Amino acid sequence: MATLKSIHACRDRFAQFAIYTAAFMVCAAFVWILSDLVLGGAAHLSWDFLVDSPRDAGRAGGIGPILVSTGLVLMVALMAALPLGWTTAVLLAEYISADSSFGYAVRYSLHVLACVPSIVFGLFGNAFFSIYLDMGFSILSGGLTLACMLLPILISTADAGLRAVPDTYRLSAAALGMSRTTTLFRLLLPAASPSLAAGLLLGTGRAVAETAALLFTSGYVDRMPGSLLDSGRTLSIHIFDLSMNIPGGDARAHASALVLITALLLLNVAAMRLAAGWQRRRITE
Amino acid sequence: MRGMKIKSAVHYVIFIAALFVVAGWSRPGNAASQKLVLTGASTIAPLAGELARRFESLHPGVRVDVQTGGSARGVYDSRKGTADIGMVSRSLKPEEQDLQAHTIAWDGIGIILHASNPVASLSRQQIIDLYSGKIINWNAVGGRDARVTVVNKAEGRSTLELFLTYAKLKNSDIKSHVVIGDNSQGIKTVAGNPNAIGYVSIGAAEYEAGHGVPIKLMPLDGVAATVANVRNGTFPLSRPLNLVTRTLPEGLALEFIEFARSGQVHDLVEAQYFVPVSVLLH
Repeated sequence: MATLKSIHACRDRFAQFAIYTAAFMVCAAFVWILSDLVLGGAAHLSWDFLVDSPRDAGRAGGIGPILVSTGLVLMVALMAALPLGWTTAVLLAEYISADSSFGYAVRYSLHVLACVPSIVFGLFGNAFFSIYLDMGFSILSGGLTLACMLLPILISTADAGLRAVPDTYRLSAAALGMSRTTTLFRLLLPAASPSLAAGLLLGTGRAVAETAALLFTSGYVDRMPGSLLDSGRTLSIHIFDLSMNIPGGDARAHASALVLITALLLLNVAAMRLAAGWQRRRITE
Repeated sequence: MRGMKIKSAVHYVIFIAALFVVAGWSRPGNAASQKLVLTGASTIAPLAGELARRFESLHPGVRVDVQTGGSARGVYDSRKGTADIGMVSRSLKPEEQDLQAHTIAWDGIGIILHASNPVASLSRQQIIDLYSGKIINWNAVGGRDARVTVVNKAEGRSTLELFLTYAKLKNSDIKSHVVIGDNSQGIKTVAGNPNAIGYVSIGAAEYEAGHGVPIKLMPLDGVAATVANVRNGTFPLSRPLNLVTRTLPEGLALEFIEFARSGQVHDLVEAQYFVPVSVLLH
């Protein structure tokens, strides 16, 4: 009896140890990456680095125009993908039943779209937006290509979020005589806002990290973009080029990556705050 | 509350409309100012970007856009007219003689090993045997007892084609363990593996070796792999960096090509560790 007890205690302790080790290793990976970037790039970070144009193929100067291009590409992508994606999610979750053949077809095509490698989106964007629609290498064609990539993420997270709202909400709203639209905007979307925000963050993260889809659409030009029809190099393409194609570009690549990670962290915090605030305000009001 | 919702929707529509107006309005502006598009070899792209920057500063109102994608893309785009000028980091092949090539610089390709590898020189036959899998251990060429890691370039890269011509091999003959893309990636791969062998642009390798990266350049056919030996034409594995056009260049394209070949950009060419054309003796 006593030995059985000690075996159980031993097993418990081992399980606990394994769980803690796993969690520690996850944190360690993040800390390792971050400290590597900070060690390699922090010395080059300065206000001038953030606003200057790159010089000597990126070995000197800063990343000002590249930050602007990245922002513009992201803005175009979200502007096109958010209304389209969230409307589709509302249709899937609220207006058609889960086992209808149309819903099945839409979901299936989204799953396929989510599995497509990003370079395929890049080639599609180059053929369709850049050449067929004659947008050339431009921020607009890059942003629209990214929008196609973001749709599956935005739709499936929003769809899952809306489905997770308990049916009692819908029944209570119907009992109170609220219209379907009012229920949607005043109750269901605010209740699902954390997953909307999560989808938005995942999408933004994927968009900002994208290299392959943008190399052939938004392009490689590191000049300050004058309009959405100019080519503009995004931050991740800049990092890729500096570390893989420019001898002596590593330090600046580290600094640029540090900027990218910091921007993503800030965006993360901001979106979470916003979602929490929206949820509280709309439902309690 | 309802009013506010409608207002925010209206704001959104106005914003989108404004965006398209701005996008549409700037189009004729771009068409009016002259624009030159270059696509092609990733080796040339950083140099072309610097050339473009200086060209723009000398010619106000002109925009030169440089895109990458590899030499094959440079040939394809200049044929199709998607690009005004293609960038090709090798000589044109017999089937590409419909294009006009304009050499703007020279680059050498050297074999690199990890700095700790005791092998001091390799004959052409030994290199061929290493790459075709006949030699799989470094002790066969006087090194330590360790398996060779063969680093090869990806299909479509000019460096690969040049190396295959030098070694008289087909790509299918090569038994590679790692396939890489750009030069710096090759240097990082070899620097991280004491038993690796690879080949990269000499300029890039010289720069990195001079900055403490543990790699060494091997002499080829007894000639040291240095930018100086590429410059005097004695190094056996060198390649021209070309700008290609579909027809004889004219107008802005001609101006840019002449500018890129002129003495006023030697500093830019050398800053990217290439050899300017007019300095070359052969």
